[in-house]
Amino acid sequence: MSEGTTLVNEEVVVEGELNKYMTFLCDGDYYGFGISHVTEITAMQPITEVPETEHFIKGLINLRGKIIPVIDVRARLGKDLAEYNDRTCIIVATVGEEMIGLIVDEIAEVVSLAPKDIVDPPSTDLGSQNNRFLSGIGKVGSQVKLLLDLNNLLYYGYYE
Amino acid sequence: MSDNNITEGMLDMFLFESEQMLEQMEEVTLLCEKQNDFDSDSVNEMFRFMHTIKGSSGIMMLNNIMTVSHRLEDIFGYMRENEVENLPVTELIGYIFEGFDFISGELEKIKSGGEADGDETQLVEDLENFYEKLKRIKDGLEEEPEVPEPVESMEAEQPKVKEPATVDGQAPAFELVNIGEGSKFFLIRIQYRKETEMANLKAYSAVFELQNIAIDMRYEPATITEDEGTSATIIEKGFWIAIHTINSEGEVMSLVDHSAGVSHIDILELTPSEFTECMNSADLQVPTLHFDRDVMEGMVQEEEHKEMKADEIEKKPKSKKAAAKGQTPKAKPVGNANAAKNGKPAATGASHQSFISVNVEKMDMLMDLIGELVIAESVVLQNQDLKVPGLDLTNFNQQAAQMTKLTSELQEAIMSIRMMPLTNVFQKMNRVVYDMTKKLDKDIDLEIIGEGTEVDKNIIEHISDPLMHMIRNAADHGIETREEREQAGKPAKGTITLEAKNEGGKVWIIVKDDGKGLSRKGILKKAREKGLIEKGMEKDYTGKDVYSMITLPGFSTNTEVTEFSGRGVGMDVVMRNIQSIGGSLDIDSDEGFGSTMTLKIPLTLAIIDGIILAVGSSNYVVATEDVKEFVGIKKEQLIVEPDGSEFIMLRGECYPVLRLKKYYNLGFGHDDIEEGIVTLLEYEERFIAVFVDELIGEQEIVVKPIPNYIKKVKGLSGCTQLGDGSISLILDTGSLINS
Repeated sequence: MSEGTTLVNEEVVVEGELNKYMTFLCDGDYYGFGISHVTEITAMQPITEVPETEHFIKGLINLRGKIIPVIDVRARLGKDLAEYNDRTCIIVATVGEEMIGLIVDEIAEVVSLAPKDIVDPPSTDLGSQNNRFLSGIGKVGSQVKLLLDLNNLLYYGYYE
Repeated sequence: MSDNNITEGMLDMFLFESEQMLEQMEEVTLLCEKQNDFDSDSVNEMFRFMHTIKGSSGIMMLNNIMTVSHRLEDIFGYMRENEVENLPVTELIGYIFEGFDFISGELEKIKSGGEADGDETQLVEDLENFYEKLKRIKDGLEEEPEVPEPVESMEAEQPKVKEPATVDGQAPAFELVNIGEGSKFFLIRIQYRKETEMANLKAYSAVFELQNIAIDMRYEPATITEDEGTSATIIEKGFWIAIHTINSEGEVMSLVDHSAGVSHIDILELTPSEFTECMNSADLQVPTLHFDRDVMEGMVQEEEHKEMKADEIEKKPKSKKAAAKGQTPKAKPVGNANAAKNGKPAATGASHQSFISVNVEKMDMLMDLIGELVIAESVVLQNQDLKVPGLDLTNFNQQAAQMTKLTSELQEAIMSIRMMPLTNVFQKMNRVVYDMTKKLDKDIDLEIIGEGTEVDKNIIEHISDPLMHMIRNAADHGIETREEREQAGKPAKGTITLEAKNEGGKVWIIVKDDGKGLSRKGILKKAREKGLIEKGMEKDYTGKDVYSMITLPGFSTNTEVTEFSGRGVGMDVVMRNIQSIGGSLDIDSDEGFGSTMTLKIPLTLAIIDGIILAVGSSNYVVATEDVKEFVGIKKEQLIVEPDGSEFIMLRGECYPVLRLKKYYNLGFGHDDIEEGIVTLLEYEERFIAVFVDELIGEQEIVVKPIPNYIKKVKGLSGCTQLGDGSISLILDTGSLINS
């Protein structure tokens, strides 16, 4: 596949219906993305490093015979790296035609959000640079879930 | 919905078959172009192909494709029936290619999920005009007598035998008014096979076809578009059509006969009064008229006309001939339809290899499985449990050897399934060169050698574009105009040679031209202009390095931008495409005499013997065949240059050293040359000594591409899983040496 130009499965938001999001913890905040992208969730496993790659690309893992790349979400979001522990997981996400593993601190629950519960993220000039990775901010009760735009998370600034 | 699956399957099949047919037609056309004539076999082939495409695109409701192919079919149909002397071959070919391009353009749109919305009006008009032109050309000369209609000759010989027909009691509702000089009348009965579904729709497509040429027409059952029940009636009694037209029987037959499911078609030519009778009868049937088939089944003597009983009337010889004619055309198209269904190219009669088309995903799955089998076998045979001392493994080893032999053969067989000859790709280049010669007004011959060389299917898909680009370059920039060539003492006709061969475990594809070659000066100048090299450094760049510069992004020594090239975008894209399949490009040139581009690609991206090396906790695999030797090096043997580059002396030879730790900026690994081991690798007679920590072992490995998400890393050509499940990166000897 050529450099990151294919893809973009936009979240299909059906008016008036609830959409489900897989959420997880990253540096104390809850993040999430459409559950349709989730292929599987697996425990942390040995990662084979690949030299000369971006800092947030940790390397490759062997997923039952299939070799897939993994990225560290903390690193991607510009946060300090943390030590992996037994709660650290890899969420295997399918974006377009690619399967990519996302290393997250801890898995949280699947939440349902109606479009009315989601607001646009603040623009990047005001907020942090990370806002470019967000597709929206969802509210569940008093909790805030930062909804990720997977395409941007994976490709922004990496592929043009 | 299962409906959707069926339609998708049909669409895929349609796209696949149509593309195949277009490719074959292009080949036939180019052949005719070379011989500057359309022989009757070719005309027949083209007619059949266009006929099929017309039919299937009609069913797929792709009207623009259908109309274009219909017009082309008309043209070939005309050529089939008439000898046209002084055929304007080049003009015809121009239109044919326009038609092909239009159709394949529309097919591409559909393939990428779009609509076939191309406007065919102009093209159709052009084709219609050409058709008229053909007729005028033919009429303008002394014509051969037209193939006599059986009707006329027979009528001259024998009296008609006919009993008075019974007509409905009512007054005739139909009157024949539009009868003219060329009027012909036919009664047609189409019979479909018992299991045919939606016979009413198939019958309708026949009606649809005939509408264009019908002056008067009637069919039974009449309610085929509204009433599904008519399907059963049609199967039981056949579908009847009575038609008044000026077209010949052959033309009528060919229009009617293009649906699958047809068992046979009978056609009977009628007199005007018989036609009127049919049109007025309840179900188009008149007792006195019988089709040949029915009569023959009724055991009637064929030779003579005899008075028979009312219900077994002797066939008029003309109808016999008509019926006989009715049978032959049917056979071929049905055969074609079947062949097409099986994914075979419509039989040209020459080769009888049978093929089946297989979904590529299934093939990939098969490849993956055999790869995993190979690894699993390795793991089993190297299991620690077997290493218990004192174990007598003689029988085990024997049987293990047998198993290994079988898996090897299985592996080879599966890999060979994916191997395809380069023929198709190469043949496509004929068209490319043809277009270039026309547009650039140059004389260029394309010589193809070794097209039977086989490569993995994956690779074939990635080669087509780069090859096309290289050939365009050769034609556009390489080969000079006729005048320039003659001035240079070369033959006016330029030659581009496209060759494929197996060489040293790889496939080489060579594009060679006898044009003006690459100018070192020009390239170096451009490189200086672009700041790629510094002034005065030109001497440092030797022969082939200079030529390779043309593959740098934005590089083009052309002062003009032509339609095809010159923007400097091409060669670097070509390089990337080639690299993505693990290949390399070698450029050589002789200024004034021509250039040679050699594309070297691995045989398959599959299973190779590998040696595993380790640096720290990272494993790297290198192809066993690239390894010349392993050496432990003493400090004294290491030579360090002032600029930091290192070499070792081995038996009087000097080899450059590459420290993997340094090359990849690894945070671990030995620094002391005496603590690790040097692996001497060879690639195309060049060497490199790679310094690593240790040698782990040897294993058959399955080469897998590094996932696309990760951008290309220098020196790596893929990754693999080792016996213990861990992942190892695969080193690319060639690029290590080149760096």
